[in-house]
Parts: sequence; structure tokens; C-alpha cells
Amino acid sequence: MDKSISLKASNINKFFHEPEEFQALKNVNFEVKKGEFLSLIGKSGSGKSTLLYILSTMDTDYKGELVINGEKLTGQSLNQLAAFRNSHIGFVFQFHYLLPEFSVLDNIMLPALKLNKKSKEEIESDAYNNLKLLGLPEQALKLTSKLSGGQQQRVAIARALINSPSIIMGDEPTGNLDSKNTNIVFDIFKELSHERGQTIITVTHDEDFAKNSDRVIELSDGNVIKGH
Amino acid sequence: MLSTNSKIALVHLTSKVKQTIVAVLGVTFGISMYVFMNSFMGGVNDTQTTLAFTSLAHIRIYNDGPDDNTNLVKKVYPANTLANISNARVIQYTEGIKNSAAILNLVKKQPEVIGVAPQVNINVFFRNGGNKVNGTLSGVDVANENKLFNISTYIIAGKWDELQYRPDGIIVGYDLAKDLSLNVNDNINILTPDAVSRNYKIIGIFQTNVKSVDKTKAYLNINSARQLLAKNEDYVTDLQVNINNFENTAPTVSRLAPVIPYKVESWQMANQQLEAGSKLRDIIANAVSFTILLVAGFGIYNILNMTINEKIREIAILKAMGFSSGDVTNIFLTQAMVIGVIGGIIGMLLGFVVSDVVAHIPFKIGGLNYLPMGFHPKDYILAFMFGLVTTFVAGYLPARKASKIDPVDIIRG
Repeated sequence: MDKSISLKASNINKFFHEPEEFQALKNVNFEVKKGEFLSLIGKSGSGKSTLLYILSTMDTDYKGELVINGEKLTGQSLNQLAAFRNSHIGFVFQFHYLLPEFSVLDNIMLPALKLNKKSKEEIESDAYNNLKLLGLPEQALKLTSKLSGGQQQRVAIARALINSPSIIMGDEPTGNLDSKNTNIVFDIFKELSHERGQTIITVTHDEDFAKNSDRVIELSDGNVIKGH
Repeated sequence: MLSTNSKIALVHLTSKVKQTIVAVLGVTFGISMYVFMNSFMGGVNDTQTTLAFTSLAHIRIYNDGPDDNTNLVKKVYPANTLANISNARVIQYTEGIKNSAAILNLVKKQPEVIGVAPQVNINVFFRNGGNKVNGTLSGVDVANENKLFNISTYIIAGKWDELQYRPDGIIVGYDLAKDLSLNVNDNINILTPDAVSRNYKIIGIFQTNVKSVDKTKAYLNINSARQLLAKNEDYVTDLQVNINNFENTAPTVSRLAPVIPYKVESWQMANQQLEAGSKLRDIIANAVSFTILLVAGFGIYNILNMTINEKIREIAILKAMGFSSGDVTNIFLTQAMVIGVIGGIIGMLLGFVVSDVVAHIPFKIGGLNYLPMGFHPKDYILAFMFGLVTTFVAGYLPARKASKIDPVDIIRG
């Protein structure tokens, strides 16, 4: 298999049964290269978020095959997938979903502590490095609930990066941010993909954001209509 | 160094301190009540046992008389033979235990036997002038009797040991003396069923607080009793036996009964009402404490359920970041168990304090000064264990629910 392929989705079909039978994705096929910055766009209900959650391995109720980094993930158990996400995939959501009772540093360290491959000291220094990269080193010991929206989203990105995942997935990561913070996040993603070779896949409504990324895949009614 | 899961559990517990305290209090209350109820019931049972065993041995060996001889005909003729017998008379049979020395030795050889006291018990009339009271005169081996029944601790006038040296001496129950208007150093007349009448001098008075005993019983030296009945030096009507564990009489009885040609009866057989009372109290204590623990369990269940509903997004995000279902179960079960352990320890302490306070409440009936209370480590250990089991179950159900949360459902909204 081609080593430069980060993610390969083959014949992905997704059905919703509630409230009525509905096919959300129809034979979706595409590949993503390593270090590529990919945007998934489409109207509401086009299936782009549904696709992202399938790619993220969290949604296992689909037909087709998903391969990430050469590993076939379709059919693996929930706990295997959880362990895979822990080490290979970082997430940034529209809402930051930080744990409000933990400090910024603890939030960032959590996935690495779970992975348990490095000592606590190494993880802590990694977390500080990530905070520096995102321009927030002085916020490390604050509770996340004390930060502004833009800062919280950057902490969420720092958390997504802690285990050096090969793929970072974003579900409208800038959906709740003003244009200044949106630009900051965009620049960070760009840097991660081009300088560190991490693959970025984000769902976005923001046309400028999408236009400036490396590649755009547009979905409509569950079909890929542009950007094969 | 705490594991990551424990750390998250700890943060959850400490960030909602009030909720945690309420949950801990629930367990504390349940466990302390469990300890208190069981200590109290245990104390009552202990007191009951002590009272009962002032006059009751663990095992009694006696001659329970001839068989039922109201219809001798049926022993010889087929079952459906009609018999018409009236005014049947029983010929004289051997009373008491023959060859008592050999039986005494045999019983003493049993490893669990801690004391044997031979007795000559006679149904008599106690008389003083015109007053007559029907009762039991017990001829006893002074030293052994005391070893079994601690009777010397119930003597309120005179000395128990004097009975050993005073063939004319008698020690009577407090109420019996009062009913006959007698005091120490007065004479009392005894009338046996064989119409022998004799005077004895009262050298002591006892009070066991078991009314039926205090009203009808008197002690005599065993040799004087034999003399009164004109019996030989081996004559004994009862052998009272104590063993090391009074609850466990059955094996001894079943071992002795086949080799001794007399009735071997445990206290449980003779006094089933005592055993029933003690068992019923245990059942009540357990029912009440289980109910309390159950309520405490529901408290924990509710609080954890609420916590999980509040933190459903965090749980989803933990799972998205790669925490497995097992990790999530672990996090919430750890919270439940921390609540259980802390509540359990405080509960044991509180239970002890409550028991100690109640044990100092005056209660002056039936020879008691304070409410009875037992302090048995077993009650505390059991309470703690039950507390842990309750919290485990109450924590496991919500924890499992949390572990089944589908992150996609929650994050996508």
C-alpha cells in the first residue's frame, strides 16, 4: 500500500433508521495524502459531519471500509478503536469540550496520560511546548472555564496535538470564533500540515477557510460532488 | 502517583463537594445504624444469655422417668386391638442417675466440656409457720456449681462458699425469703414429697433477677440433699454440663446421647423460646439495617446518576480522546467506592459513638443498670463489608450507563 496515503475511505454508505429510513452517505470514496489539509464542505444535511464521524472511528454503524495509516479499522471493537483514536487521531470540535474542573495543563495532558507511553514530566513539557505553539503558555495553570472562547479553542487544539497524532480532525473548529481567532486557528492547521506533515481533515461552513486549504471535498445529499 | 482514571474521579468528587458529602453521609448513616442496631441486639442477646445461663446449663443429663405406660397392651398385641384400661398404676422405678461417677468421668473427658456440676433436685414445700411455698431444692456441688453458674456473684447476703461446710445451711432466693418473711440466720422448714420434714438455717440469700428462680429456688449442699432423701453418696438427679461454645451443643449431645442411658438435653431443646427470641431479634436488626443501607445505596445511585447526566459531554469527549468503556466505568466506580470507604469508616466510628452513648442510658429493670450493648468487632467488619457491597452495586449501575454513552450522539447533539 502507498505509504503516502494517510486515510482511505472506500464505498462508505450510511443509513439512518430513525425517525425514518434515510441514506446519509452514498458510496463515498476518497483518499487523503499525508500532510494534506482537507476541508469537507456542503450544505446542512449533506452528510459531511456524518462522514467525519465515520472517518474519526467514533461512528461504527456504516457500510464500506475505512483504512487509516494502512490499518483497516472497519470491524474493530469499540475499545480497540478507542485506543487507536488515542494514539493516532486528534479532535477539535465546534465547542471546545474541555473539562471545566481541570486546569489547562491537565486538559492537554489527559490523552497522553491515557496513552501512557511517556513519563509525566515528558508529557508536561510536551504540553507546555504545545501551549507555546498556540501562544498560551501563561494560561497553563488556569481552569479552562476562566479562558475566552478563542483561548479555549486553542487549548482544545493543544490537547488534540499532545499525542502527535497523524491525523487531526475538526468539526467546524472555527464555527464559534471571530475572524481573528479563525485566522489564528487556520494558520496553526496550515503549519501543522505543511511543517509537521500531520493530516488535517475539517468540516467547515467557512468558505474562505475551505478555499485556503489544500483541497476541498464537497458533499451534497450524501454524494461527493466535487474534489475526488 | 494516582492513575489518570483515579485522578479524574477525584476531581469529580472534589469539584462537587456538597454532593459528595451528602453521598458520604448517606453511607455513614446506613453503616452507623447497622453497627448500632446490631450492637444493641447483640447486647440484648448477650444479656439474655447471661440471665438464662444463671440457672440453665448448656447441656443437662437427667433421668426423664419411665416411658408412657398408659397402654401396655398395645406393645404386645396388634395395633387395632381394643384395650380398656383404667386407673393404671406405675410401679416404682429407679429415680436419678445410677452410676453417676462413671458418667461424670465420661462427660469430663470430652474436650469441649469446661465444667460439670452434679445436682440433686427435689420438689419441696418451703415452710415458715403457716406460710407454704412450692419450689425446688437444689443439692449442689458447691465449687462446681459456682464454676458453671457464677452463682456467688448473685449472693446479696451471706457467702456462697459457706454452703460447703454447713450441712445445716441453706441459701434461698430473695423473693422466696420475702414471701416466707425470712432473713439470714432464720430457720426454714422443708417438706419433701416423701413427707420428710427438716429444718435448715438460712446462711445466704441470692438474687438472679430471674423471678421464677428467685421465687422458688434454694440451694443445699449436695450431701445434705442426699441425706434428706436417704440416698447413697452416688445419687444424682441431674448432671449440668457447660461447654466452650454454648451455641454449638448439637455435636456434644449427639456424641453423648448414644452412650449415656439417660436423657441428654441441650438448652436449645429445653428452651426453644429463648432461641426463637434471640433469632427474631437478629432478624429485626438485620431487616432494619438492610433497609437503611438500601436507602443509602439509592442515595449514591441518584447522586452518581445526576453526576453522569451533568458530565455526559465530558464522558463523550473522554471517549473521543481514546478512553475506553472500561476507563469510564472505572472512573465512576472509583467515585462510588471512595464514597463507600470514607462513609464506611466514618460510619463505623459514628456507630461506635452512638452505641457508647446509648450504653450509658440508665435502664434499671431486671438487674440491668444501663441499656445493654455489645461491642463485637464482627458487627463493625460486617457493616463495613455490607457498606462496600451496597456502594459497589449503587455505583456500578450508573457507571455502566456512563460507559455505554455513544460519543457521536452527544457531540453531534
